[in-house]
Amino acid sequence: MLPAILKRAGLFSAIWIMLTGAAPDALAFGAAAVAAAVWLSLRLLPPVGTVRLLRMLALVPGFLWGSLSGGLDVARRAFRPRPGLRPGWVTFPTRLGGGARAALGGELSLMPGTLAAGCSDGRLIVHVLDTGAGFDQAIAQEERRIASLSHRA
Amino acid sequence: MTLDLLRLLLTIALTGAGLVFYVAGTLGLLRFPDTFSRLHALTKADNLGLGLLALGLAFQAPGWAEVAKLALIWLLALLAAGTVAQLVARAALGRGAR
Amino acid sequence: MSTWLAVLAVGLLGSLAAALWRVWHGPGQADRMMAAQLVGTAGVGLLLILWAMGERAALDVALVLALLAALAAVGFVKASSVDGAGDPEEEAPDPSMIKGRRHDP
Repeated sequence: MLPAILKRAGLFSAIWIMLTGAAPDALAFGAAAVAAAVWLSLRLLPPVGTVRLLRMLALVPGFLWGSLSGGLDVARRAFRPRPGLRPGWVTFPTRLGGGARAALGGELSLMPGTLAAGCSDGRLIVHVLDTGAGFDQAIAQEERRIASLSHRA
Repeated sequence: MTLDLLRLLLTIALTGAGLVFYVAGTLGLLRFPDTFSRLHALTKADNLGLGLLALGLAFQAPGWAEVAKLALIWLLALLAAGTVAQLVARAALGRGAR
Repeated sequence: MSTWLAVLAVGLLGSLAAALWRVWHGPGQADRMMAAQLVGTAGVGLLLILWAMGERAALDVALVLALLAALAAVGFVKASSVDGAGDPEEEAPDPSMIKGRRHDP
């Protein structure tokens, strides 16, 4: 519990400092706001294991690249006279739950050609923009990456 | 080339690219044939547009506090886009959208 | 610089106005919600441009708008679940919609 409290307090403090530009007369209010935010976040999203922050940082460049190529792909299709869409659905078995699954879904939704629509019977439902382009090949790799971010306590 | 000119050119190039992605998102929203494909266009293109716009304008920021706030806005938009896309897709699926 | 910012702002307003067509025509409620989302992101972009034009407070307004746009979408999704307050996943999706390929590793 203690590591989770410290990590979250650190995160919220960083956000407060960004919001206020580290104004000294806002620090007292910040202490109260951070305490309230940590309490609320522990109630709404109890810690289920430890999240490896360093490994998460290591994934950031790949995520930004995926987001860039996702935007480029969809923009190319939007400007082309024929967008060349073959939309369809793919379901994918996943053991991730809770926050990790939401993170995977959010990441997939920004990657090229995939869009998550929640889970049903333990299978992640993914909409694919072009079923012939092999966009769904990336799903398994993304799932492994997200799974490697947390160990269960 | 002075530093100010370089900053100006970076701002113009990045914000121009950002505008292109905003326009692409709108075109996708208007042209793509079904709800879910339109959601792809909106989520991916608009966020990249906002990110490039914020990055380009960051070169005109007077100090680091403003750069940090621009980064925070973009981060919030990115997180919200990924989460909201899933929620809207699921809601549309439950409703049987075409 | 200020001319370029004005060009950007007009471009953003144009793309925002075009998106209103979707709010008008739908066809689904989700389509209308997506157009409203686009108005949110384009609005944040416009506020950032206003900030760069010298309106220093616009940056805080942009932050709040980004937050409110996300909450509006969550409100839409919650209102569309059966009891008006729940998780959209409590309702099973229409199986005929997702009859696509099963993908097993």
